[in-house]
Amino acid sequence: MTLFDDKDARFRNLFGKAAVFVLFAVVGIGAVFVWSGVKKGAFTATSPIYFVADSGQDLNEGMPVKFSGFKIGKLNTLALDEQGHVQVEVGIETKYLKLIRQDAVMSLKKEGVIGDGILEISRGAEGKPVLAAGDKVRFERASGLEQAVVDVKNRILPLLDDIHQTLQDPDGDVRQTLKNLRELSAGMRVTQQRLDSVLKKADANLDHDVEPMLRSLKKSAANAESLTGRLDYQLPELLKKADTSMEALRAATQTINDAVQHTAPQLPAMIDETRDTLGKSRKLIGDTQQTLDTLNSHWPLKRDVQPETGPVRMDSHD
Amino acid sequence: MTKFSAAVFKLVLMMIAGLLAACGSAPVARQPLAIEQARAADRDARKALGEGELQFAQQQFARALALQRSLDDTAAAATSMINLATVTHRLHDDAEALTWLDGILLEQEGIYPQQAKLAAAFRKAVILTDLARLAEADSALQSAEKLCAGQCALSAGIGALRARLLLLNGDAEGALILAQRVSKQEKSDKAERANAVRIVAAAEEKLARPAPALQHYLEALEMDKALGLGVRIGEDLNGMARVSAQLGMDREATEYARRAVLANGSQSGQLP
Repeated sequence: MTLFDDKDARFRNLFGKAAVFVLFAVVGIGAVFVWSGVKKGAFTATSPIYFVADSGQDLNEGMPVKFSGFKIGKLNTLALDEQGHVQVEVGIETKYLKLIRQDAVMSLKKEGVIGDGILEISRGAEGKPVLAAGDKVRFERASGLEQAVVDVKNRILPLLDDIHQTLQDPDGDVRQTLKNLRELSAGMRVTQQRLDSVLKKADANLDHDVEPMLRSLKKSAANAESLTGRLDYQLPELLKKADTSMEALRAATQTINDAVQHTAPQLPAMIDETRDTLGKSRKLIGDTQQTLDTLNSHWPLKRDVQPETGPVRMDSHD
Repeated sequence: MTKFSAAVFKLVLMMIAGLLAACGSAPVARQPLAIEQARAADRDARKALGEGELQFAQQQFARALALQRSLDDTAAAATSMINLATVTHRLHDDAEALTWLDGILLEQEGIYPQQAKLAAAFRKAVILTDLARLAEADSALQSAEKLCAGQCALSAGIGALRARLLLLNGDAEGALILAQRVSKQEKSDKAERANAVRIVAAAEEKLARPAPALQHYLEALEMDKALGLGVRIGEDLNGMARVSAQLGMDREATEYARRAVLANGSQSGQLP
């Protein structure tokens, strides 16, 4: 069926015009492919660098290699050698090789607390030669959150066991000190009762019972002498044991402090990052809800059904 | 361009213009945050209730209630209290449910609307009837009847509940007459009419008239099936099994009893 009049001046050279249009489209698509390739680094010269890892855990083909926070390459291949080690090849953009020295270290890290794994290469010492294509670098795994938690656990659990044992051991310093203190307290109470008794008798029978009073005083003096002897004997020992206990507690406190200090530098960053992630999630949910609300308010998505407002249903047989 | 092409072109233009005009409608004005949050909590609670998530519905109704109280929206707060009572009743915590309803009924300052008091009194009567506290249920139902005066949306439910109470108190004749009246109200709630028909059947059964009782149980069963009310389908089938046995229809009685067991077992999660 002929829709257009061939004699119409506007449709002359229609084939030529269509061909130009198609040509522009093809050129445009090609340009997009080329641009994508450039952006993805398909035309960037890279140099292979190698390292050996103890295991392939957390290492993936394509994972980025970063230097000072910039992506300068990616992991190309992973292969298991005859010794069971993992031979890894990374491709680093050739123009950046001059910035890295041969003693540089490739570290496997996490981007944030729960982020993807990345490889980060250090600069190396200034006096060392520049890294060349095909060189090998040293590899290490940076300790992540899990390792930090395990470290803290490994340090704190023995401490808790020690403290528990120290407190529970019937022959231990703490129990012995408490026992001695209890005995001392009981002795002092007996002495006090006796002195009270003496004073009472002295007060009541001052005129009539001087002799019994003197006897009682003599006895009290003997008791006091005995008590002094016990104190002379026990106090140095008690003080020594108390000192030992305090030293043990001080050592335990220091170890806990060390463990906390070891973990503390990571905590603010973790908390900030978690708070940031939560904030972003909350904002995303809010934005999504707002978008849905806005869409719902417009035709053809607008819902004409009014929200239910009265009490929920319940009949006489519920 | 042919006439056909021109017509198609014009049609497309008109459609685009129509779509643009429709999209140009004014957006819904945003409310202050607390009001939006209260509405969202209420909406989430109703959705959860519809999906059987009773615990979550309870939490969300409580959240909505707190927000409504903070906004001095007493009418909405009363609705949330009634909803909380209903959810709590479904969670089988009837003491707590009655406490929520009493929060409305015992309020002396008259801050809650009459409609809320009516709904609260009715629901309290239903819960007390379920608990077999018939005297207290009667008192609560009288309050509802007084507030409704026969002209409210709950009148069918109140009538059906009154008939149920009469039957439970042994007045089968009175229950039959009242339930028949409710069951014939075409404009009333379908579930309440089904309840009324079931009460008619039970009253007939109590009056030792198994044949009409069976007919009414069958009618109630059809209505409950149409409404998709599993528990009541089980009750209907049990009634049918009882009256079929009285009529000497042992095979049918066995079949109805078996179906009732399956229906009730499914409700309590016992499969197969």
